[in-house]
Amino acid sequence: MAALTFEGVSHRYAAGGRPALEDVTLSVEEGELVLLVGESGSGKSTLLRAALGLVPRFHGGELHGRVRVGGLDTRDHRPGELARHAGLVFQDPEAQVVSSGVLAEAAFGLENLGVDAAEIHPRALAALRMAGADHLAGRATRTLSGGERQRVAIGSVLAMGPRVLLLDEPTSQLDPAAADDLLRTLLDLRTRHGIAVVVAEHRTERLFGVADRVVAMHAGEIVVDAPPDRARLALRGRPWLLPRAPAEPPPPARPEDPAAQLDHASKRLGTTRALHDVSAAFERGAVTAVTGPNGAGKTTLALALCGLMGLDAGMAAHRGRAGYVAQDPGAYLLHDTGLEEVEYGLANLGVPAPGRRARAEAELERFDLGWAAAEHPRDLSSGERQRLAIASVTAMRPDLVVLDEPTRGVDGRRKRAVAEIVRGLAAAGAAVVVVSHDTPFVADAATASVRLESGRIAPQRVPAPEAVHA
Amino acid sequence: MKPLPAALMTAAVGIAAIALENPLWPAAAALSGALLLTAAGPPRRAYAAFALLTGVTVFLLEPFVAVQGLTTLWRGPDIPILDTQITTEELAYGAAAGLRIAAAALAAGAFVRLADSDLLLRAVARVAPRSAMIASLTTQMLPALERDAACVLVAARTRAAAVSRPATAARLVGPLVGMSLERALAVAEAMEARGYAGPARSAAPVRGLSRRERVLTLLGIAALALVVATLATGAAGFRYFDVLDDPWTPAATAGAAGLAALGTAFAWVVRWRP
Repeated sequence: MAALTFEGVSHRYAAGGRPALEDVTLSVEEGELVLLVGESGSGKSTLLRAALGLVPRFHGGELHGRVRVGGLDTRDHRPGELARHAGLVFQDPEAQVVSSGVLAEAAFGLENLGVDAAEIHPRALAALRMAGADHLAGRATRTLSGGERQRVAIGSVLAMGPRVLLLDEPTSQLDPAAADDLLRTLLDLRTRHGIAVVVAEHRTERLFGVADRVVAMHAGEIVVDAPPDRARLALRGRPWLLPRAPAEPPPPARPEDPAAQLDHASKRLGTTRALHDVSAAFERGAVTAVTGPNGAGKTTLALALCGLMGLDAGMAAHRGRAGYVAQDPGAYLLHDTGLEEVEYGLANLGVPAPGRRARAEAELERFDLGWAAAEHPRDLSSGERQRLAIASVTAMRPDLVVLDEPTRGVDGRRKRAVAEIVRGLAAAGAAVVVVSHDTPFVADAATASVRLESGRIAPQRVPAPEAVHA
Repeated sequence: MKPLPAALMTAAVGIAAIALENPLWPAAAALSGALLLTAAGPPRRAYAAFALLTGVTVFLLEPFVAVQGLTTLWRGPDIPILDTQITTEELAYGAAAGLRIAAAALAAGAFVRLADSDLLLRAVARVAPRSAMIASLTTQMLPALERDAACVLVAARTRAAAVSRPATAARLVGPLVGMSLERALAVAEAMEARGYAGPARSAAPVRGLSRRERVLTLLGIAALALVVATLATGAAGFRYFDVLDDPWTPAATAGAAGLAALGTAFAWVVRWRP
């Protein structure tokens, strides 16, 4: 029986532009795992939102056609009612935290469903366990790292026991072990509980081989809907949508002439020891990946290295100017157009107006964002915002560039372009530090690596390669 | 902390600041608000800065827009729209108005920092069960502003912005509010996706009021009763114009001192560690 159906669905947002969905017809059966792929802006997120009635009820615009979830038509039922049948994990973990405590967060959906009070906390804890987040149950949500937040978001939706589970880039901030755990959970939900699972992903390594079907979208249309082996053939012309072969991690960093370094650095955030006696150095002309599990202290290291966070003990230093791009690109969107955004840093550096504009335009082009020069940054998709934020920093030609999860929401094709730009920055003499869980990207971009675990430098080891099912 | 004791105390401070005329009351309210915010713990700098900035702005502007009072202190050149004759009464009124605004802002900040936002959301869900947007904006907007302010500052500093300059910092306020509104909308969407505004609701078991919260509730009730009684009896009446009354009446002095004492006691109990 179909758990989710789209019949000739088209949607155009109220702001106008081309349709976000164009005559989409799709059926997902109970116990089926569907991998949804496509470039940024291809309509994946809109499709998932439409499945829960959030498009158009929350976002407005015109929707034609019919969407049914659990047999209910989204035109006749509010998202609050449909949530009993379908759960959606959004792309941005910062934007879906409702509660201040982790346990309250996981309990929130259960309360809304009217679950018996005595069952709420046991079910919430069980779901957090499934998402690998039960150890976080006593924490405040504001103290979580990006990856930890993502785990909690997944657990909070799993707690509601949906028959259709929709996930928008669920592994974008998960470390490899957590991503493997999530995959196991999804397979278990599909096989043992007959739940229909739809996952939109740019990191397709784990899912491509185990999905029952691969659905590829382009410009709002479904262009491929086939089992993985046939989809692989059909997508030969778009190799960036296909899984990458496992890659060797870059060797440990052993800089001879460091441009930036931490010396016995320690930092406590609340009750958590984010950095503990960390000494690490980063070389000019190199791209150093900082890896490690969620909550290992990677972002704290990045902020301290750039002088944006003070240390409790030890020292952080760098030569020249430092540029930092955070995990959440939303904070970098301070102006009315993409061009002004990139010009902002240059203006602050005192670059004169004519040259400034030309440099900003060139930087936008480099990031494939030339078209966004006159667009409002908040109208851009998640991946486009990410690239704009990076462009607004790299345009300033910093001597130290620190990018925290730079490929979040960025599709495979542009991810390769970002890797190329990152290598280019290093080749031009900058010390580049990339905090990332995206192992194919790290393999493409990085020349050295530093691993953190529980706030300490960990011995380098070859991580288990991401599963590729050819 | 459960929202009830925080709501009682901060409501008392807010009402005293806004509704009681005698300047001793807004002064006591501002002191209590500052103590409550201090007791609430960090991050609180943004609330304090906002309260101070708005209070001082109102105090500075008031004498130039009011055309009242008989005790002239200074007469400036004629400037269209502005009243450049400054009187003692205008200054006193401006000071009281500044204290009112600052006290109300401090009380609001203290409430946001003191009350458990999860329980607050649950309370709002009872009042606005169909609107995730209202619930999100009322319970998430200020905490979101707080978090986002830190992120926006990092983003600006890394792009060489001199954020310590008031003009630069002021230019970041618009994008910050935009970002926080966007986040509040996203949270509202996430709430709908997780069944908010659905047909049935229940609540996870919540512990009862702790002994400390019971004491705080009593202090809050006492403060609110004091303010309401003063309001009802008109014991805080005061004239700023044409000439100032004497604020040091026994009733106003005792009442304002009482509010300050209750605010201090509340803050002390919040911070007390056995």
